[in-house]
Amino acid sequence: MSELKIVGKSVPKVDAKIKVTGRAMYADDIHMPNALHGKIVRCMQYAHARVIKLDISRAQKMPGVVKILVPEDIEKYNTYNTGVMDLFAPDELNAVWGEIGEEPIFTKHVKHQGDALCGIIAKTEAEAEAAAEMVDVEYEPLPVYLTTEEASHPDAVQFTPEKPGNVAYRVPGGLFPEGFYGYGDIDKGFAESDLIYEEDYYVPKQKHCQMEPHSYIAQFDDQDRLNVWTSSQMPKPVQTKLHKLFGLPMSRIKVNQTVIGGGFGTRLGLIGEPYVCAMALAVPGRAIKLNYTREEDWVASETRHSGRFKLKMGFKKDGTPVVYDGYMSFEKGGYYTHGGVVWVSGILARGAYKFENFRFDGDAIFTNKVPCGAFRGYGNPQQALCMEQLIQRMCTDTGIDTIEWHKKWHREAGGDPWGFGVPTMNCGADEVLDRGVESFGWHEKKEINANQSGPKRRGTGMMLGVHCSAGFPVLLEHTVATVTLNEDATAIINCSISDLGCGNHTAITQIAAEALGFSMDDVFLNWGDSDANAFDIGAHASRTIWTAGRAVKEACEDAMKQVYAKAAKFLKVDPAELVMEDKKIFTKEAPDQIVDLKELLWKGIYAFMSPEDFQFKFDRGQIIGKASFMPFANNPGWYACFVEVEVDTETGELKVLECTYVNDIGQAINPAAVEGQLEGGIQQGLGFSLTEEMYYDENGLILNNSFTDYKMFGPTDMPKCDIQLVTTEEQYGPYGARGVGEAGLCAPGPAVGNAIFDAIGIQFNEAPFTPEKILKAIKGKGLFPDKRA
Amino acid sequence: MSTRVLPDFEILVPQSKEEALKLLSQYQGDAAILAGGTDLLVQMKGQLKCNCKGENAFGYLLSLAEVPGLDYVEYDETEGLRIGAMATLSQVAAHPVVKENYPGLLESVGVCGTKQTRNMGTVVGNLLNASPCADCGCAILAWGGTLTLEGTAGRREVDVDDFYLGYRLTARKTDELAVELKLPPKSDGTVSAHHKMTRVEHDLSKITVSVRLEMSGTTCKSARIAMASVAPTIVRLKETEKLLAGVEITDQILESVAKSASSEVTPIDDVRSTAEYRRDVAGVMVKRIIQKVCKS
Repeated sequence: MSELKIVGKSVPKVDAKIKVTGRAMYADDIHMPNALHGKIVRCMQYAHARVIKLDISRAQKMPGVVKILVPEDIEKYNTYNTGVMDLFAPDELNAVWGEIGEEPIFTKHVKHQGDALCGIIAKTEAEAEAAAEMVDVEYEPLPVYLTTEEASHPDAVQFTPEKPGNVAYRVPGGLFPEGFYGYGDIDKGFAESDLIYEEDYYVPKQKHCQMEPHSYIAQFDDQDRLNVWTSSQMPKPVQTKLHKLFGLPMSRIKVNQTVIGGGFGTRLGLIGEPYVCAMALAVPGRAIKLNYTREEDWVASETRHSGRFKLKMGFKKDGTPVVYDGYMSFEKGGYYTHGGVVWVSGILARGAYKFENFRFDGDAIFTNKVPCGAFRGYGNPQQALCMEQLIQRMCTDTGIDTIEWHKKWHREAGGDPWGFGVPTMNCGADEVLDRGVESFGWHEKKEINANQSGPKRRGTGMMLGVHCSAGFPVLLEHTVATVTLNEDATAIINCSISDLGCGNHTAITQIAAEALGFSMDDVFLNWGDSDANAFDIGAHASRTIWTAGRAVKEACEDAMKQVYAKAAKFLKVDPAELVMEDKKIFTKEAPDQIVDLKELLWKGIYAFMSPEDFQFKFDRGQIIGKASFMPFANNPGWYACFVEVEVDTETGELKVLECTYVNDIGQAINPAAVEGQLEGGIQQGLGFSLTEEMYYDENGLILNNSFTDYKMFGPTDMPKCDIQLVTTEEQYGPYGARGVGEAGLCAPGPAVGNAIFDAIGIQFNEAPFTPEKILKAIKGKGLFPDKRA
Repeated sequence: MSTRVLPDFEILVPQSKEEALKLLSQYQGDAAILAGGTDLLVQMKGQLKCNCKGENAFGYLLSLAEVPGLDYVEYDETEGLRIGAMATLSQVAAHPVVKENYPGLLESVGVCGTKQTRNMGTVVGNLLNASPCADCGCAILAWGGTLTLEGTAGRREVDVDDFYLGYRLTARKTDELAVELKLPPKSDGTVSAHHKMTRVEHDLSKITVSVRLEMSGTTCKSARIAMASVAPTIVRLKETEKLLAGVEITDQILESVAKSASSEVTPIDDVRSTAEYRRDVAGVMVKRIIQKVCKS
């Protein structure tokens, strides 16, 4: 590969200026003439109830009210689910695990606090809100199910007739030859194990806390087109899902993606689009703006899947991993949303270590909580938090060096780690572990912390993990990109790539500039325009660079192939011999015979016959390169995380002192952006394990639905972060890049758990690990209870 | 449901203290007093209870922004520190005498809200908001002082010890304006400190302790201990204080002080912590803060 000029450099983000100046146009910044305002009337006092009577007569008389949409008004539309499995997995498989779209736009069966009852359209937001207060609702309260046990009780009220027993989803073990997802003989594995470890874990309900609250505009225009402005992280699937929901042809639906103020999975699939579009269709011609308050975001947009994980593992005395048996039971919340999160937990657990026997099963049971959906990591943070702590318990008990165990038993390149017949091509786990041990000072810290006394105790912990670079082979992977070469030798890339703030638009522009041999300034990426952009899945599964990066690279290469073909014809040489430098095309053999790229492109468009010989200088026509790229590989990155914590044994308070995080990402397209992405992941991973959890009262009402009451790690809470990027060979990703979007979040939780274990000799099976839990455990058990006994 | 839209209100902008008092006597509990607004505006958007008691709680906002002469922080050796109703937290923190003589207050101001809210919020407002987890309120209660309340009927001084009547209830009458807070000067052996425990750095208090001790060598002549987030109001731990009066501070004394503090508080479970935890750490916090001030 020739030397890279733009890829691999930490160039400034293409959207830095618009964001720093505050001029980035978020959906709420867009003001349409004579726009109306929508307000969703939500059930805030019950988590489970039937609506007996919905009386809008008082609300209709309120000033400014234009229309009120009730459940009867939306019966003509389909029901839906918010997720995208209906699009990303084949119908046959969706039938196997029972993919459903049971969610009506407005409901008469309230399944969680904040469920939508009806929608007000008014002239101003204040008038819409005031009218919403005047809607009179009578309810029949139903029993509230907050745990999977309560909801799956035989006598429990059924959430939907399609899902008996309120089992929203079950891992489709029957798809596999052994009758379960995994391999080997589980009973035999345990019989042959010297050491058996098991634990019943709880993983918490984490909220995305993206900075931009959900905000939308929709307008059904006079050409009968439904236009919607949304900061969805999946604009093209949203277009398709709106087509399925409202029955409009896709040619009549335009999705304008606005600048995304953070996503992390909360903007995966549909959120508020069905409401704002239903309102727009009810008042043709008028634009509707719909803003969620932060509280609405909390009660009505999805969270991470929470629940219990029963994990049991068997080892030989020497640490040989004999058998893994896990059952994850997620609290689904009120609606089906996404099918497969629980299964993804198992897929990623299976991909990590060479257990001789492996079984993963699980389900997701409806509960009367806010529905769970996608959240950065998609099942991996939950399983890793438990598995890595249980492995550490075995290592501590047996005295096996945890670093050596991880080095010895991680999966290698090749094989079929996930069980879908797709081998991985490389593995940098050893390099990652070595670099981490050295950079963190693992052995030095162990020595320093060896003999501690006093109330404050330090401990170190680590974990190893593996994520993915895309959804393939489990889910569809596909991005289409086109590149139009302008007549002045600049380029417009058309691709529906989402940038959640992590720098995808910059990295993709770098890839395009590199592939075209242009400067960054000569390339512009046109995103967020569903008319101009062809299909792309959207941002999820750490897949944008892997798939969309390759798509854009191939589209650019296609364009350059056309350039060289034209130039070769003119120079009468073989196109394979041509090179381009500073937009001058020539062969190495005859460097003075030059075609100027700008002239070639200009005259392809402004193509006039020469008055002298009535010939055209170059082939006529504008060059548009195209790629419709569907990868057939998914090389995951391995990562290791090392942390040091200090536990105040008298108060249970915990300080994360240091965090070293190492990832074999292949070639970073933009190293600074990657580091920022990883630090952000670490911040959310620390919150997931230490402070973040949605609390409910016994009636299913959320107790902490604001940033005052729900606390994530802020910038000043962050430990010193040492991010190490290990560059390993990558044969498939664009310019050798792998996906890195989610890995940062999966890592710190188990490392912190293991560091606490190192510091005080106690493990915790319920996250987040709060001072309250730590102090209670110390008071109950004393420090290092196992060693003392 | 919270709102993006502030409820309708009329804003009253008196140009003098006299006018402000007149308006207050006219509107009584229907007027919420707007100083820095850092608590009030959140309450309005969250449709919570506010610092006035009327039915139409947010119908009128009485702004002190244009009342002259309320934004002072002054000190003299006889009277001590005088903080005007509109003196911001940042202003108080920046005052050299506060840095020198009132370290407990300084620490409490430094952990109250964020830099942005400290530039807007006022110290007197923090007292008036009557939150059981108040930051400077706790330090002020530990220090001791008086609040000057003025109404059309006249002026009176209320000891901070008598100011809190119950959850979010104060001795301020609806027609009164809290115009000034007075904190007496320190004596030779006065030491003070403040410690706020939170879930993350920028947070409301999980549990807070403030102390003021009058020391003579290693002997404590008298003590004032205040805690926040352990009762319906910020409170003094008067029983625990008694254990410290006139004794030499020893490890043994501190152990009994810790035990007493844990039993004297009456915390509850909420989203920030549990009653059990608060009770457990109350003693540790009191012990540690006394150790800290004795060392300094």
